[in-house]
Amino acid sequence: MFDATSTLSLLALLFGLGLGYAAIRYRVEGNPLVDQIDAILPQTQCGQCDFPGCRPYAEAIASGEAEINQCPPGGQEGVDALAELLNIETMTLNEEHGEPEPKRVAVVDEDVCIGCTLCIQACPVDAFVGSSKVMTTVIAQECTGCDLCIPVCPVDCIEMVEIKPTVRNYIPDIAELAHV
Amino acid sequence: MSEFAFKGGLKLENPYPADEIDLIRIPLPDKVILPLQQRIGEQAKPIVGIGEHVLTGQVVATIDDERCAPVHASISGNVVAIDEQVMPHQSGLKALCITIESDGKDDWVDTSIGCTEHYELCTPETIYNKIRVSGIVGMGGAGFPTHTKVQLAEGCHTLLVNATECEPGITCDASLILAYSTKIIRGAEVLFHISRAERAIIAIEDDKPEAIALLKKYCNNDRISIEEIPTKYTSGAEKILVKSVLGIEIPSGKFASDVGVLCLNVGTVVAIFDAVVENRPLISRAVTVAGNAVKVPKNFQVRLGASYDYLLSFTDLEEGKHKVSMAGMMMGIELKGTNYSVTKNTNCIFVDMDEKSAPAKAKECIRCGLCNTVCPVDLLPQQLYWYSKGENIDKAVDYNLLDCIECGCCSYVCPSRIPLVNYYQFSKALYRQQVKEKEQTDKARSRFEFREMRLERNKRERAEMMEAKKKALKEKMASDKAQKDIIEAAVERVSSSKSDTEEQDGN
Amino acid sequence: METKRLDTNQIMRQVIYALVLGVGAQIYFFGSSVIVQIILASITAIIAEAVFLQIRGVKIKPAIMDGSAILTAILLAISIPSIAPWWVVVLGVLFAIIFGKQIFGGLGNNPFNPAMLGYAFLLISYPVQMTQWPGEFISFSQGIDVIFGLNNVDGLTGATRLDDVKTQLMLGTQIRDINLESVSQLWINVGFLLGGIYLLLRRIIFWQIPFSLLLGLILMSAALFFIDPSQFTSPYFHLANGATMLAAFFIATDPVSASTTPRGRVIYGFFIGTLIVIIRVFGGYPDAVAFAVLLMNITVPLIDFYTQPKVFGK
Ligand code: SF4
Ligand code: SF4
Ligand code: SF4
Ligand code: SF4
Ligand code: SF4
Repeated sequence: MFDATSTLSLLALLFGLGLGYAAIRYRVEGNPLVDQIDAILPQTQCGQCDFPGCRPYAEAIASGEAEINQCPPGGQEGVDALAELLNIETMTLNEEHGEPEPKRVAVVDEDVCIGCTLCIQACPVDAFVGSSKVMTTVIAQECTGCDLCIPVCPVDCIEMVEIKPTVRNYIPDIAELAHV
Repeated sequence: MSEFAFKGGLKLENPYPADEIDLIRIPLPDKVILPLQQRIGEQAKPIVGIGEHVLTGQVVATIDDERCAPVHASISGNVVAIDEQVMPHQSGLKALCITIESDGKDDWVDTSIGCTEHYELCTPETIYNKIRVSGIVGMGGAGFPTHTKVQLAEGCHTLLVNATECEPGITCDASLILAYSTKIIRGAEVLFHISRAERAIIAIEDDKPEAIALLKKYCNNDRISIEEIPTKYTSGAEKILVKSVLGIEIPSGKFASDVGVLCLNVGTVVAIFDAVVENRPLISRAVTVAGNAVKVPKNFQVRLGASYDYLLSFTDLEEGKHKVSMAGMMMGIELKGTNYSVTKNTNCIFVDMDEKSAPAKAKECIRCGLCNTVCPVDLLPQQLYWYSKGENIDKAVDYNLLDCIECGCCSYVCPSRIPLVNYYQFSKALYRQQVKEKEQTDKARSRFEFREMRLERNKRERAEMMEAKKKALKEKMASDKAQKDIIEAAVERVSSSKSDTEEQDGN
Repeated sequence: METKRLDTNQIMRQVIYALVLGVGAQIYFFGSSVIVQIILASITAIIAEAVFLQIRGVKIKPAIMDGSAILTAILLAISIPSIAPWWVVVLGVLFAIIFGKQIFGGLGNNPFNPAMLGYAFLLISYPVQMTQWPGEFISFSQGIDVIFGLNNVDGLTGATRLDDVKTQLMLGTQIRDINLESVSQLWINVGFLLGGIYLLLRRIIFWQIPFSLLLGLILMSAALFFIDPSQFTSPYFHLANGATMLAAFFIATDPVSASTTPRGRVIYGFFIGTLIVIIRVFGGYPDAVAFAVLLMNITVPLIDFYTQPKVFGK
């Protein structure tokens, strides 16, 4: 009995030491905290978190001025990931800031657009091309779907369109294919 | 006989052997549906309108991307629709297709202009281009555009013609050899002309004596050899074939062209011959119809875009509820119904009785390791399964998920009947999505930062400009003042000197 | 030859069939009371499994039908003395099923070999009952009496040869004065060896673990024997005694808790073999299979990680 217990404890101790050593030896030098937080945020730049973009929000989290549950586009997974990074208890997404929605892109009805460039100024990622008095259009790959251009358009010609699944980006439903 | 064996794989009997593997030419379909989205690149753009009359072989949709191939009408007739149709894909999603109704005449575009028999007189560039405009893609099932592949392998030393079947139960390549063995040899010679390959090897499984004999009979070029390889599943996969015939292991993430091998399926070689010598674009292909609901498995030469239903009407099916899948017993993808059309990479349609083919219930993985022993690329399928199931994609990628060729050997032997490949397809799709999302967020981040910087710069520049203006004004005022001072001083001086003079004068 | 398609139930069933010879030898030498133990263990296992599956909300029938619980029960039942009281085997099986398997989420998720976990638990908790082996052939009715406590075990028990040698060595006897022969142990081991060969031929288990385990055991014992033949027993003794063959072919090969990479299996088996000898010779317990296997179970993730095969093209 004593033999077994002592052997096992000794082994456990050895493994523990080994792991502890490995943890110290191979620890990755981290980026500054703000960068790490910013890397988790979805970069939609929508401002729903009450900060003028993801980076400012990341700075606010890092300095403890904001909670981690204010970013709706990041969804609950985003909150959980932040909690894990910061090693704190996770919280539920604060609905006051909005609810997560499927990803969309802005599409301009070019026939209606008057070329006022207000949307160009509002867009946080410069996804519009156009200049004053010519019709404006959105580069779909650049648009983050932040909705900020919607309210500024005087003629309401911007529409948010959901991104449809295609054969190319289809993700099989594993629950259905698992044969359980 | 090949001397380099590969590890893993499965020895399988053909589940649906047929006495005859002739290639049956079936009548023209009444209607074809041609999808515009191909394996790579964007969707092709239609260049014909609804109601327009088109000829067989006429280009109906083009694409700017040099790497991609155009789409041809596979029958002559009228374009009746350009709309979204269900794709033969597990998602059941729709994509843009052109529908042509046959006029029954099969009038061809002019096939007399081009390289014809005297292709030796054409430059390799002309021939590449010919392959591209003829819409040829890999016919083994992968569907990668052939001209791109040929171009990548420009400096290759060996041409490897893959005459093995993709999966047990499929016989379309064998039927193609029986029907067109001379075209295969001649097609290889065309490829000699446009690449630097010194030799060609036609690799074929040793269970096809008839096809081997025929190839040997017509092969009178001593740069072309016919190599028999053991019949073992996955030997037809490109990487595995290159290993087992040439003993070259293609590095992970690379292609055959990177090791100087151009590997093409027999169907592709036949299509190249048709395109270069006969000036006919790719408008038909060989398709195997087999499965446990098919009384006699058959091979059909069928126009692209013909419906599955049309094709199945030429076979005898058992009565009852059927389950249709694209490709065979190992890599087949189950489809919902038969409302699909034959595409360039449809090599086989399996029709099974629904009740006989319900997948067994999956149990827990018992870590028996049988899957490890059959994986032809030496992965650890059960680890991949574990991480894919937990959606721990990074870990799965660490365990070389991306090297998986989705051959299905592991699923086949798994005693717990876990559909392992489904998990890998799932996690690969997730991985692709994650990579894309990461790219997008990175881009958004840098664009946001750039904009911030730009705004900041504008602000600064404006401030600097204001500053400069102010300074200039001040300076002007200052210099004005100085000027004034000077003038005043001068005036003073003048007046004082005047008085001086006056004084002097007075003296 | 066509590649065979096994299924999990078949594998478990084949393993159970392969045990027949070894168990037969046990019955031949010590009477059929081992059958009583097997039945007791199996019933306990099924009930425990069903209750736990119910609690976990898993469908009961397919999970029980996979045969793994019964296999665990049988392995445990034939590892413990055939005249141990009924509650010993029942407790052991309960421990094996609950703490060895279901706690971790059922079949496939358990890091430890459940049968050996149950065995180790029994050995630590009830050392007396666990070391009283029948000294001679015991009739069925006698067996029943003893197992259910209707009769006294006195007079029926004896120590195994391993135990015996150990005690004698402790008393200072020289190896050459100790009787090392044990016909019963030899034949039981031969029985399990034949069963194991059957499994190898049916390709139910792979050669790596049994082969490297026996190799490790032989090398380790040979080394010790070479150092001092008067203190240490020969490799042959280690091969022919205790649960060596049972361990090599049936216990260490339990797929769930063993290493899964080909090279990893060699390492895993080899160290179990050497550990068996070390623990037998230097440890406080008569046999060492359970501890050796459990110790190596802990290292499996590590072994698996470092022995990934070279991927095609990497
Ligand atoms: S709420 Fe919008 S701006 Fe704020 S962190 Fe989330 S995505 Fe970025
Ligand atoms: S285009 Fe509109 S929705 Fe898209 S990123 Fe710019 S402001 Fe946001
Ligand atoms: S705000 Fe509206 S009208 Fe003005 S440029 Fe943008 S899209 Fe056109
Ligand atoms: S074959 Fe199936 S049960 Fe065996 S290790 Fe692989 S996944 Fe697990
Ligand atoms: S599907 Fe992937 S993991 Fe499975 S055997 Fe084939 S290559 Fe290996």
